[in-house]
Amino acid sequence: MTQNYFELFNLPEKFQINLEKLQENYRTIQKEIHPDRFAMATESEKIQSMIKSTQINDAYQALKSPIKRAKYILSLHKSLKKIPLPPDFLMQQMEWEEHLDTISENKNELNKFKFIINKEYEQYSLLLETQIDINQDWDEAAITIDKLHFVEKLLNKINISLN
Amino acid sequence: MALLQISEPGKSTMPHQHRRVVGIDLGTTNSLVASVISGSPTILKQIDGSNLLPSVVHYSKDKILVGKDAKNHLGKDAENTISSVKRLIGKTINDVNKDHFPLNLADGDGVINIKTSMGIKNPIEVSAEILKTLKIVAENKLCGELMGSVVTVPAYFDDAQRQATKDACTLAGLNVLRLINEPTAAAVAYGLDKKPRGCFVVFDLGGGTFDVSILNLSKGLFEVLATHGDANLGGDDFDQAIVNFLNDKYKLNITDIEIQSIVSILAREIKESLSIKKEVEVLKKISGIEIKETFTQEQFKILVKGLINQTLKATKSALHDAKLNNEQIDGVIMVGGSTRMPCIQEAVKNLFKQELHNDLNPDEVVALGAATQANILAGNGQEDLLLLDVTPLSLGIETIGSIVERIIPRNTTLPVAMAQEFTTYKDGQTAMIIHVVQGERELVDDCRSLAKFTLKKIPPMVAGAAKIKVTFHVDTDGLLSVSAEETTTNARATIEVKPSYGLSEDKIKAMLQSSYDLAEEDKASRALAETKVEANQLIELTQKALDTDKDLLSESELTSIKNDLSELIDSLKSSNNDKIKEATKKLNLQSESFAAKRMDRSIQKALTGKSINKLEF
Repeated sequence: MTQNYFELFNLPEKFQINLEKLQENYRTIQKEIHPDRFAMATESEKIQSMIKSTQINDAYQALKSPIKRAKYILSLHKSLKKIPLPPDFLMQQMEWEEHLDTISENKNELNKFKFIINKEYEQYSLLLETQIDINQDWDEAAITIDKLHFVEKLLNKINISLN
Repeated sequence: MALLQISEPGKSTMPHQHRRVVGIDLGTTNSLVASVISGSPTILKQIDGSNLLPSVVHYSKDKILVGKDAKNHLGKDAENTISSVKRLIGKTINDVNKDHFPLNLADGDGVINIKTSMGIKNPIEVSAEILKTLKIVAENKLCGELMGSVVTVPAYFDDAQRQATKDACTLAGLNVLRLINEPTAAAVAYGLDKKPRGCFVVFDLGGGTFDVSILNLSKGLFEVLATHGDANLGGDDFDQAIVNFLNDKYKLNITDIEIQSIVSILAREIKESLSIKKEVEVLKKISGIEIKETFTQEQFKILVKGLINQTLKATKSALHDAKLNNEQIDGVIMVGGSTRMPCIQEAVKNLFKQELHNDLNPDEVVALGAATQANILAGNGQEDLLLLDVTPLSLGIETIGSIVERIIPRNTTLPVAMAQEFTTYKDGQTAMIIHVVQGERELVDDCRSLAKFTLKKIPPMVAGAAKIKVTFHVDTDGLLSVSAEETTTNARATIEVKPSYGLSEDKIKAMLQSSYDLAEEDKASRALAETKVEANQLIELTQKALDTDKDLLSESELTSIKNDLSELIDSLKSSNNDKIKEATKKLNLQSESFAAKRMDRSIQKALTGKSINKLEF
């Protein structure tokens, strides 16, 4: 698909988007072009609807997740080079991982830790918004995406321990 | 295979007015067929007047019995009486516990062979017998040949089981409009009645399979958020728990097929009684051993505690995947005959702390939902309803060290295509084995192997230089196709495969030939008639499309389509099947970009209400 995902869903090309609008437009489009709408159509329409419905699902996934959306915006600006994470963040990563190991059986501590990491997640998201939507600083954004990605994985691990 | 439609005498012959379609629930214990009649989904009754057709097939030397008649042979001629065939379909002999089946099972090169008095049968053929019976019932009730059907499968069925089910339909002469997931079908049946909004859980415990789906229902849209389950867990296992208990206590011979078959029937009776009574007394003699036992609901609950916990664990996993907790659930729908068990109802009620929806007959709700969906797909109904379902299991390929690299994660909305790049392991490597697996585990051996194919003619390069792009595509039936290509060089090595299980397309065709004893000329005239119907539909639809949207085409595009259209109209004057087919194909190909443009226009219209700027893919 050569078309810009944001245009496809009728949204401004921003990191900060209206997720409800995205979902609403996604549903509207699927209702138009899903293969179930073309079960009695011609062969060419069946093929096209399958292709388009697949593409819409792909585009929707890319915009729905903050990390994927940020990466997509960066890819539009051809700036997906790999930038190493700063050493202080690597240290922080190790500390967090170790902390999770020591508290993995303790529900109370896990909930506290989840609260802290959630805050980190929010902070990096806000930072990303500034870097992408205001400063258009792709290199800095690329680093923040990696950090956010790590924090998201950590949150997942905490949730798994909690269950 | 398109089927011919026959209109009532004196009525319009327009082919699209009302299409004869059905929904089919091919169940482990019972199967049903339903259709929308005068606007409401209705179960089509079997010849004996009942709604359910027992999913049992009996083979004698020269006769096949299906349903109740076959069921009567269960105790007497167990080896030739096949029940719960759904637990065998799409599987290999290594996947099943032979002790649980009082049948002669053997490996049959990818499928399971069942030895009967009529010879070797496989689960696809057995399922096709059940489907054929349903088809005949439906055609009698609806007074004519079926145009299509929506057939349900457990949401947790893997690709092999789905494909095998579709093969069984083909073998039974059914045109499958869509395979849909059983819990989703149930939600359709419920959703249309009550038009709720919010997040719903469908808890579907059938005779041999268990599914749990979490759906978001909003106006006209059924969006599956997550699905989980166990394609090997159902009422049969609850029976088996009683069987094991009796075998243990009364030292019954577990290798005697006849005895075990009698114990199985007894166990099922006990279980079913316990769904309506607090306790049940059993007094029965089995090959000289007297069985005297009082079962209470509490006792039964202890026997099946492990099974109940399995269902709860799957339900929690589905909630987790849907990123919801049990308080965010607006309703719980209970589906499948096995949800009649009080211990199941209690457990689910406790988990969600709310009353359960079970006012529709749990045996019928799946077929009713499938009938509604069939009606919508056929364009008969006016319902504004769309199902968005997901892949139940992750799909991936084997990499070095027998590790699975996931390409499509579970719970991805369909249809989906995802690609991943791989590279060579050795210098000068020119071929690569692509082993497709399905499942959640890290190691290949713990996942279901779906297909293995070899990508050849990779240009020799140093290790790690070649780029092999593997693309997975899962369609709206939940069926997978895989392609692979080497992308660094111009000389592209591409391979496209559809994993196939047990029966090759040729074999199915051969089986179809033998089951339809049509004379050659009958076949030819039938084929010609089918081709003509298809061509006429294409002509009509193309003309309609041109009427409304021809401004999307350039002068030359319009001319090309018009030329191909008149060529097709001309070809219909002949009775040359090949010629008509060729012209149909040509027009279809010619119209592809037109179809794409029309869809873009409809998206634009839907999003903005009016066309502002042109959308292009």
